[in-house]
Amino acid sequence: MLDLKRRIDTLQMVELAEGMEIHLRTAGPFLRLIAWFLDLIIEGIALIFLYLIITLISPVMGEAVSEGVYLLSFFLIWWFYPVFFEISPWGATLGKRALGLRVVNEAGGGITMGASMIRNFIRGVEVMLPFLPLIVFFHPRFQRLGDLAAGTLVVYSKPRIDPVIPGPPPLEKVPVNFSLSREEEAAILAFRYRGGGWSEARRVELSNHLEKMTGEIGLKGVSKLMGMAHWLEEQR
Amino acid sequence: MNRQEFETKNGSDWKAFELQLENSKGKKPTLDSHKVPSRFRKICYDLSLAQYRMFGQQICDRLNGLAIVGYRQIHRKRGAFGEGFLRFFLGTFPAAFRREWKLFAVASFVFLGPFFAMWWSADKEIEWVQALLGAEAMSDIEGMYGKDAVTVEHLRQEHGSNFMMFAHYINNNVGIDFRIFAGGIFFGIGTLFFLIYNGLYLGAVVGYVEYAGDPELLLKFVAGHSSFELLGMLVVGMAGLKIGFVLLAPGQLSRGEALTRAGRDGLPLLIGGACMTALAAVVEGFWSAQPIDTNVKYMVGIAFWILHLLYFLFVGRGYRGA
Repeated sequence: MLDLKRRIDTLQMVELAEGMEIHLRTAGPFLRLIAWFLDLIIEGIALIFLYLIITLISPVMGEAVSEGVYLLSFFLIWWFYPVFFEISPWGATLGKRALGLRVVNEAGGGITMGASMIRNFIRGVEVMLPFLPLIVFFHPRFQRLGDLAAGTLVVYSKPRIDPVIPGPPPLEKVPVNFSLSREEEAAILAFRYRGGGWSEARRVELSNHLEKMTGEIGLKGVSKLMGMAHWLEEQR
Repeated sequence: MNRQEFETKNGSDWKAFELQLENSKGKKPTLDSHKVPSRFRKICYDLSLAQYRMFGQQICDRLNGLAIVGYRQIHRKRGAFGEGFLRFFLGTFPAAFRREWKLFAVASFVFLGPFFAMWWSADKEIEWVQALLGAEAMSDIEGMYGKDAVTVEHLRQEHGSNFMMFAHYINNNVGIDFRIFAGGIFFGIGTLFFLIYNGLYLGAVVGYVEYAGDPELLLKFVAGHSSFELLGMLVVGMAGLKIGFVLLAPGQLSRGEALTRAGRDGLPLLIGGACMTALAAVVEGFWSAQPIDTNVKYMVGIAFWILHLLYFLFVGRGYRGA
């Protein structure tokens, strides 16, 4: 596993039993909060519908029976609405699905019913003590306490393919005549292939950090770095 | 080999796997289902190679995505509900209970201490009990178990009222179980609160019935479901306490890891305890209030307690997990 501090992305490295590493893109607290609000609204609507239906069937089925049906349905919606959807092939409640999120276990696979129960039941206590969910912000994988207890993560369901926006094509190859670590090399290549998406000033700002390596600052530094990236790529 | 060569050489394999994943979303196996594992292996191999040689983000992202979806397809669990059910109740659950027997001792102590204290206090000084129950609960109790009460049997004459009470007990008692468990996340304080509170309240009810009502009415009502309900609550309490304890004293592990393990170890207790409480609701709804001879009810109640004892002591011994 690579050193977390040196990485240029917030991707989570997971090693699978197959002996390879995959990257999971964990979802941040803000999106998850919105998903939760959506779910609350959906649950509310479901309960209102339930109430209407019970009112309609009450004269037919008798008061006691319809009261019982109401209590049972309420119990199921209240406690098991998220569980039902999270263990379905979608792997997400309706709110999460709307935002393109998914609940997975720590290897990126679907979660069990037990895990889903744990993470959803514990949320009830977490929202009662509003400082507890804030732990999400301090956890590298954005896991809240319920996620930790259940061993689950919330990730983006579709692996996002980042658009490649190369910077302006380099005019020259600049040989790199000193050794780079793999992460450094990857960072320089990423600079070339993402550079097109940034403003000129941002490119300059980033390449200025490498003044020691390129020996230049400003625009010259940028083009020299691009040249280095070009050279590194041609090596292969 | 440079990036272009790598992509041209293997691109068709990736495309084939992509198509296959697209087609195999349904449940039926397709004609080339047997090729999934070998194609998945190829993807894993190519991904490792592309990552190692740094063939650029685009290829890595694409292969990474394929690997995730492929992994999900291959490792999806299916069916065998009946077998899992049997395994759980004949092995996992009682074994987990015995493994955590110390937690059972703690949970029982935390519940029974306040229970007996409250019951005992009714004999000496009824005001404690009265203060805890409040006027409304006291008149309810007198209505149900008072000396000249309209007995529970009469209240259940209406059509469907057994079912309604069953649903009420499910919603209320199993819901409380879930809260008892979740309360463990706050260093166990939530779990302790619910256990102590239930102990005090039930002790007060028993004490008050003894003081102002007819204990036999109460006893013959609760005899049948008491074992399921009390033990179910304590078992769920064990799961909550487990989580609370590891947060306080995670030992050699980090708190996060310890919490994950406690969740995994406590899960059978949560599910098993909740199932016991649901069974209690069945008994309480459809049996406990039936007009049946008092002695029969006592016998059934005692039989259930003995069965629970035997179940937790002996079922699934030597079970080593699947």
